[in-house]
Amino acid sequence: MPTNNPLPPKENALFKRILKCYEQKQYKNGLKFAKQILTNPKFSEHGETLAMKGLTLNCLGRKEEAYEFVRRGLRNDLKSHVCWHVYGLLQRSDRKYDEAIKCYRNALKWDKDNLQILRDLSLLQIQMRDLEGYRDTRYQLLVLRPGQRASWIGYAMSYHLLKDYDMAIKILEEFRKTQLPKPFDYEHSELLLYQNMVIREANMLDEALKHLETHEKEIVDKLSLQEIRGELYLKLGRREEAASVYRELISRNPENWAYYKGLENAFQLDGEEEQLKLYTEMQEKFPRTAAPRRIPLTFTTGDLFKRLLDKYLRSSFHKGVPPLFVTLKSVYKDPWKVQVVEDLVLKYAENLKECEHFDRSDEGDKEPPTALVWVYYFLAQHFDHRGDTRKSLHYVDLAIEHTPLLIELYVLKAKIYKHAGDVEESARLMDEAQSLDTADRYINSKCAKYMLRANLVQEAAEMCSKFTREGVSAVDNLNEMQCMWFQTENAAAYQRMGKWGEALKKCHEVDRHFSEIIEDQFDFHTYCMRKMTLRAYVGLLRLEDVLRRHPFYYKAAKIAVEIYLHLHDHPLKDGDKDSSQDTENLTPRELKKLRSKQRKAQKKAEMEREKQKQEEQKKEHQNKKQDADLEGPKEEELVPDKLARVEDPLEQAIHFLKPLQLLCADRIETHIYAYEIYSRKGKLLLMLQSLKRSHKVDPENPHLHVSLLRFIKLVNQKKAESSETVHKVIQHELERICGNKDAKILNEEFLKRNSNSVLHRAAAAKMMYEYEPTPEVQEKALNLATKLSRDLSGLTVKNCIEVLEYMCRGEFGKCEKAVQDYQVQCHNLFPCAPSFIIPANSQPDQIVANGTAS
Amino acid sequence: MNIRCATPEDLMNMQHCNLLCLPENYQMKYYFYHGLSWPQLSYVAEDESGKIVGYVLAKMEEDPEDSVPHGHITSLAVKRSYRRLGMAQKLMDQASRAMCENFDAKYVSLHVRKSNRAALHLYTNTLKFQISEIEPKYYADGEDAYAMRRDLSEFKEVFKQETIKETAGQDTSKETPKEVGIQESCRESQKEKPSQEKASET
Repeated sequence: MPTNNPLPPKENALFKRILKCYEQKQYKNGLKFAKQILTNPKFSEHGETLAMKGLTLNCLGRKEEAYEFVRRGLRNDLKSHVCWHVYGLLQRSDRKYDEAIKCYRNALKWDKDNLQILRDLSLLQIQMRDLEGYRDTRYQLLVLRPGQRASWIGYAMSYHLLKDYDMAIKILEEFRKTQLPKPFDYEHSELLLYQNMVIREANMLDEALKHLETHEKEIVDKLSLQEIRGELYLKLGRREEAASVYRELISRNPENWAYYKGLENAFQLDGEEEQLKLYTEMQEKFPRTAAPRRIPLTFTTGDLFKRLLDKYLRSSFHKGVPPLFVTLKSVYKDPWKVQVVEDLVLKYAENLKECEHFDRSDEGDKEPPTALVWVYYFLAQHFDHRGDTRKSLHYVDLAIEHTPLLIELYVLKAKIYKHAGDVEESARLMDEAQSLDTADRYINSKCAKYMLRANLVQEAAEMCSKFTREGVSAVDNLNEMQCMWFQTENAAAYQRMGKWGEALKKCHEVDRHFSEIIEDQFDFHTYCMRKMTLRAYVGLLRLEDVLRRHPFYYKAAKIAVEIYLHLHDHPLKDGDKDSSQDTENLTPRELKKLRSKQRKAQKKAEMEREKQKQEEQKKEHQNKKQDADLEGPKEEELVPDKLARVEDPLEQAIHFLKPLQLLCADRIETHIYAYEIYSRKGKLLLMLQSLKRSHKVDPENPHLHVSLLRFIKLVNQKKAESSETVHKVIQHELERICGNKDAKILNEEFLKRNSNSVLHRAAAAKMMYEYEPTPEVQEKALNLATKLSRDLSGLTVKNCIEVLEYMCRGEFGKCEKAVQDYQVQCHNLFPCAPSFIIPANSQPDQIVANGTAS
Repeated sequence: MNIRCATPEDLMNMQHCNLLCLPENYQMKYYFYHGLSWPQLSYVAEDESGKIVGYVLAKMEEDPEDSVPHGHITSLAVKRSYRRLGMAQKLMDQASRAMCENFDAKYVSLHVRKSNRAALHLYTNTLKFQISEIEPKYYADGEDAYAMRRDLSEFKEVFKQETIKETAGQDTSKETPKEVGIQESCRESQKEKPSQEKASET
């Protein structure tokens, strides 16, 4: 090994012991041996020993010293692969992978065939998706260790990931030929299925099928074998064979809808009668299976549908299947079918009440009394789905009257209130449901969620604590368990309460979970090669590449971006508490309520803080011990007040936005947010880009319309400042989006195209006033935005609140009278939604009295 | 509800379902460990929009004390709003068959809280599990667990004859209890197998 200053035998033996201690995690002993070398003045600056001492210190959690020693060691011996390797390991432990890769490369300069370094390098390369680098390193590993299985697999996989399928297949085939599979060889079977996966991805369908046939007997995963076969037969047009494969698959798992689809495709059935015949056959074959009874309800129409539905509903009500309604989700996409359902079930209700039969002409045994409850329960869900709160409540109350202690009924009632906009009543009802079965975490979770919707943050955490580990605060435990539904809902609640810092903390916690889950793949790079679960491994890599596409990330990112935008527009002043919120957005009643709630919350929070402090002290004590074992860098603590006083809110917003632009380009909000951020940075071209992308997703989106018109105004204002080329580009692109028309004309045309939609009207009205803020236009705009009638689309609580917020925010100038009138109108439409109740004339908490189970 | 073998993309949503329904929870890495060690064994039930409404997270026992290869159910849950459709049983049957086929499992084991009578009922009556022993203080909160087993050899025979046809007259969906939920203790979740084997690719 080329190093500047080799140690004499005695010291060299000690050095080897340091290495051994490191491998065996005996760090204290390692330090002892290091000391023995370094105290000898002759070797006090021995590079490799210093470096190893640093690495050992790092494992003991003494990070700063670690860096100091490793760097000192390296300075003393720049030509030592050990020193470079150690520096790489140190960087890797801090997850500075790019830096670590550089170190490993330096290490390899001095010892190019070092297996351990090559392996470590390859892991970082695949983790960072440096696929070309990975391929080169895997090549060297193969050359050095051709006898090892992992060498071949890794090399082949690098080509697969680079989409060089031919090469990947060839390498796998060479390797396969050397294998002598045992009779029942799972790993060999996985290898073959992986090879087949590559062949299929190369779109070599005939070869893939041939490959399967050749190795059929060696494959133990019969399910994958058949699924692949079915798919290949279909693609190759070998329909008879496909049909028989799908028949087998159905008899294996008759609840898999894809198999029925496969069978339908194989038969190329024409018309619903023929389709139905197939499902009837399957029903007879598998009488206890739901799929063949349920699927035909999706494709049948007319009388045939009615007949099947009648049968399906009756048997479910008879047996008492609580989730019946949710099994019909896709049927509800067709308004005609919804009406058929309604007519049928209303008739059942009437007849069951009268004669305990679904139909008056029915003979024989009477239906059990439970049938009627489930019918009421169903009707309540049905009318809730249709947005008819009154009828929905009517039926759920009938059901409660019939069976007062059925938890599902209270859960449903809570949901109805939630949909009607009364979050507080819904939280109260869910609490009631929860109290009827405190052993069920599902109800507990739902209850906590509803509490968060009602901004009852403290109560929600207490609710959750019934199922979290003792001795830790619920919020901490939920964070540790990566419980993201709670954290995103919690963030949203804090956002509504104006607690920007607290909300941001939750958003960052979620973001860190995603980083952690990306980190999680690291160990599997080696693990899966050994286990041979290569298909699943490739699945994992592909999942991790798009991980932040997950709705939980979206939710957290959305809240974070909104808050950072707000903090940019209204930075906290020194004296401000984080909980300051723009009260101007609130009606006086909300304000009063808020204040009293804040007082209560403050008291509670203080007590909580005291408690937490104590717990933290305890924890810190424990942590000191654990830290030594912890892998990965210690992350900076998230302090709400610090987060709320951020210096670069827009950069932070971009941090959350970037993954959305990359992974969620199909969601228009992504680009709307991008526009908002870049408009505050004054980046005309990036604003333009966001508009273009929005336009591609949905050219009629009301938010896009508003942004676009504002952009046009801005561009005209800035004409003088911006360079000619920039201006030209913008004009050219605007021409393509909106034909370079005058903003007012665009607004009129937009309104004409979308005049029956609540949000579109509001957007057009906003722009009308923004371009011409005169009293006459104000009146016209307000009329447009606030006119409500049943035939408008998008007439929901949520949208009406949005319009109300525009008005309160002053987007139509001063308009108190109009606000009141609008609230009255909305209140008539949505009597349960507290946002529309004008303080003087009602006490919302008393609207609903439900005495049965309190 | 559609029942199918779980893919890596499902694992995060299974974790979500687990956190909603059951008191024993695990970090994502533990789900990855299952999904990447035994990709055939875990199953999910999803609604028409693809939302996971139930799952079974399963594995093979890595070093069985009795040296008999057998499977183990780490976690099984069905959302309350989707219960009484008989999904727990269907999920379990699929997982069990996969254990036989892929890993030659002779039996499948699981743990259930002594107090969870609904789950105990499901395992005993519907799924033909038997209590093999009591493990004192198995759960983090100090509760005892029943260790249960179901023999799979008979199961394997059934598949050989390729008759999934249900034996007539046994409509077990009626007896499916309202709540289902069993779990491993938290201790197990902290083991994080793959990292132990790190750095030994030789």
